[in-house]
Amino acid sequence: MKLEMFHLCPYRDLPEDFREKNRSVWVDPPRHLFDAEIANRTYNQTLDELKYGAEMGYDGICVNEHHQNAYGLMPSPNLMASVMSRETKDVAIIVMGNSIALYDPPIRVAEEFAMLDCISGGRLVAGFPVGSAMDTAFGYGSNPSQLREKYAEAEELILRAWEEDEVFSFDGKYTQLRYVNIWPRPLQNPRPPIWVPGAGSIETWNTCVEKGHLYAYLSYSGYKRGKTVMDGFWKVANAAGIDNPYHAGFLQLVCIADSEQELQDKYAAHTEYFFNKMLHIYAGFADPPGYRTVDTIKAGLMAQTTSFGSAGSGEQTFDELRAAGNVVAGTPKQVTEQLESIIKDLRIGHLMLLNQYGSIPHELAKENIRRTAQEVVPNLRHIWSEYEDHWWPQNAIVREPASK
Amino acid sequence: MNERSVDVRNGEFQVDVLEGDSGDPLLFLHGVAGLEWTPFLERLSANHTVIAPRTPGFGESTGSEKLHDIHDLVMFYLDLLDELELDHLPLVGHSLGGMFAAELAAVQPGRFTHTVLASPFGLWDDASPVVDLFAISLEELAAAMYADAESDAAVAIATAPQARMTEVDPDTEEGQATIHYLVERAKSMSTAAKYLWPIPNRGLSKRLHRVTQPTLIIWGESDGIIPASYASQFASAIPNATAQLISNAAHMVIEEQPDQVVQLIEGLLSK
Repeated sequence: MKLEMFHLCPYRDLPEDFREKNRSVWVDPPRHLFDAEIANRTYNQTLDELKYGAEMGYDGICVNEHHQNAYGLMPSPNLMASVMSRETKDVAIIVMGNSIALYDPPIRVAEEFAMLDCISGGRLVAGFPVGSAMDTAFGYGSNPSQLREKYAEAEELILRAWEEDEVFSFDGKYTQLRYVNIWPRPLQNPRPPIWVPGAGSIETWNTCVEKGHLYAYLSYSGYKRGKTVMDGFWKVANAAGIDNPYHAGFLQLVCIADSEQELQDKYAAHTEYFFNKMLHIYAGFADPPGYRTVDTIKAGLMAQTTSFGSAGSGEQTFDELRAAGNVVAGTPKQVTEQLESIIKDLRIGHLMLLNQYGSIPHELAKENIRRTAQEVVPNLRHIWSEYEDHWWPQNAIVREPASK
Repeated sequence: MNERSVDVRNGEFQVDVLEGDSGDPLLFLHGVAGLEWTPFLERLSANHTVIAPRTPGFGESTGSEKLHDIHDLVMFYLDLLDELELDHLPLVGHSLGGMFAAELAAVQPGRFTHTVLASPFGLWDDASPVVDLFAISLEELAAAMYADAESDAAVAIATAPQARMTEVDPDTEEGQATIHYLVERAKSMSTAAKYLWPIPNRGLSKRLHRVTQPTLIIWGESDGIIPASYASQFASAIPNATAQLISNAAHMVIEEQPDQVVQLIEGLLSK
């Protein structure tokens, strides 16, 4: 079992009445709410927290890409990953990832990921998300009904740019290049492992199974929705003869304290900030026409972004969020037990944990990171030891489980 | 009215075509709301054989995946007109179909005797932006499409199944009906997005000077999708055009005031 620390780099200082006064945290939140002095602090604290997660014993650290929002301030996660490639020496650097359909030409992603892999010494995980509707369709103006086709073409181009031995020409519908010859190429041979963050669309399951990419379900909708989606993935995977849990990953918010009172005092308000402000997304930005394919609609599945949208549809309390499994909160022992059952139920070999989320301030984030990494993570690593992880960077550390 | 399916480019496209049957042919291109035989078309067909194709991506017309951009779309329509052997006829387009009509009239001005553009897309004015059709709520959409928000047509839009945030049970009849509606809406809106996303400007302003036939621009005064100020922009870019604003009408002007619009069209055609 591998456990990685995920960081969204959220804007932690939205006003108390943000939800009442604004329709969306994404695409069109008022510009005057952004304070660059606060961002200066936020970026540096985020980098410190990522480094701290690595030092405290996580297997990897994860960053991701979002645009025009207060939910996650990393339009370029590669910049953060670049710093971390220098600041850490052994953990996996998991960029989760670059929305490859948005780059023109997409070999920009092939180049930057290759740079990161070379700088980090072969520790990069290359994440290829389709990207949320807010980021892609509205933030970057990409026609949602052409996004998946662009994505597929970009993926083909990037993989060929990494793997082919000779300079080649690429005559695509969206990208035409007379000479493809990226310098550098990745240090990992032939390329870094590819993880695909998804949110429950059928096409992503099929792609991951067909191409052997790791499928990671990133949502905040809790265990029940997670179970439905991961069962869907495993049904497709099992039909193809695949049962290795390392083929799949999941994301979970976690907070740790020694007593109920301490949990309430330390984490209730910050957890509510995350669900009630960070996921406050105008419905019109979450599911534009064509973003969901006809097949996904026909299957009666919710929008990809419903993992954001429905979670943010009404105000929720800390206790409700815990009951629904949106956040796993408790003592180290309780959290370990809950995570173990999630890991086994969803059959996932990679669990990404958010220790800083919402408005959790720096010192408390560090406490949560330290306690999770030291009192929970080592006691989960033994799971799935009978399987081999084919989705781990060639030169990233493989830590030993805690001795029983 | 009768409906038939027309084969274009050796079966690459199967296109539904609705046809009325009295008089000389007239080509009608429908808008973002899709194509039905409405009172407007019924009245127009009193004096003309109205030929109304359904654009691929809408309803049962196929081949949408072969159309990537406005250039592909124009070539498709020229092939369809060749297949139907249509030449020297008036062209009427509404909304998205108005944009297509303007493109066709610019490419082959000699093919069309007159052009009518009713609330067409195709231009962009920073000072008066076209609404974001793809992000507004269904209630906002209804109010933007119809001057009378209480009308049956407006209420039908406002109360349609939500295309987003919906969890549907495919095992029930109601669920299946909702899925059918959402699939059709996703198909037609994705088709419209090819020509309108993220800004409905594909360079038409560079071509409008080629629309040389007598042209009528019709606009609903309270159009909440494309502001009526665009009427004069079209009229001044097209050499032989006049603009007519219609009161008590919005984006669906041809359906909201069919008698008045048909009368204006007949007036143009008699010239």
